[in-house]
Amino acid sequence: METDLRREGTKPVHLILSAQSSGRPPATSRLSTLPREETRKELTGALEHGAREVFEMMVGTALGSADYADLPRVADYTAMIGLAGDLCGVMSFRCTSASASRIAGLMLNSNDPVPEEAVRDAMGEICNMVAGSFKARVMGLADQCMLSVPTVVTGKDYQLHSMANGERVHVSMGFEDAVLWITLDLHM
Amino acid sequence: MNPLRVLIVDDSSVMRKIVHRSLSQAGLELAEVFEASNGVEALARMQETRVDLILSDINMPTMDGLELVRQLQSLENAKGVPIVMITTEAGESHVVQALSSGARGYIRKPFTPDQIKERIIPLLGA
Repeated sequence: METDLRREGTKPVHLILSAQSSGRPPATSRLSTLPREETRKELTGALEHGAREVFEMMVGTALGSADYADLPRVADYTAMIGLAGDLCGVMSFRCTSASASRIAGLMLNSNDPVPEEAVRDAMGEICNMVAGSFKARVMGLADQCMLSVPTVVTGKDYQLHSMANGERVHVSMGFEDAVLWITLDLHM
Repeated sequence: MNPLRVLIVDDSSVMRKIVHRSLSQAGLELAEVFEASNGVEALARMQETRVDLILSDINMPTMDGLELVRQLQSLENAKGVPIVMITTEAGESHVVQALSSGARGYIRKPFTPDQIKERIIPLLGA
């Protein structure tokens, strides 16, 4: 995945995240043998259920459905985590600044404003747990796919460009009055 | 059961607070809770402190949880102290690796206070 950090009057900054880092051929799992639509359906379901589980157990709130099918051009917070092994790619979790602060506050059981550092930390952990829950739900992935340490990008002045050259699986979910976006860019 | 002295090891400060809160919600009486953000910090803490329980993440910078468990085996203060891994990695091979390194239990993130209670109470004895 390529992150294009553009600032007015400056050259764009590119952050390249590798979608294939295991050194072995990707997609050697059961998934690679399934028809494309079946694979997409299974991965979408696993992402959605993984996110619901994490929010119910660690944030204490149920995620709803969201009508917004399209990804936003930018979000205030984008947490990303790499997957390597039988499934190679990058999972990203995006939300607004207000949602990120609210999620961190709920995780910490705090009504006070949460420091920026803790909000970033919370976003990284949410992304990490959703990725873990996702791969635990896809048969054969739990042991055959490793997760990287999460990365969190903040600010609105950037664009994400997937370099995974494969499938994109995307779900948008309702969190209180806002929308959360979870995307899986796969190298297949 | 006497109030517990617990060491929580996780590179996420938010997660350390959640684990701490979950222990209380699980009904465990806590005498003192220590925190470390990686295995090196945890080892340093354990050289000067005795605790009743260690809860550790696996994926951490500097020194991961599995290496921490291995190194704790030779530390006098850690002898007999149950170590429970709390991690997003839930595959069978990860569990086997953790248990064979010396961990006594394994909890997958996300978790509930009830799951914490179920996994930890049996390790603490009466």
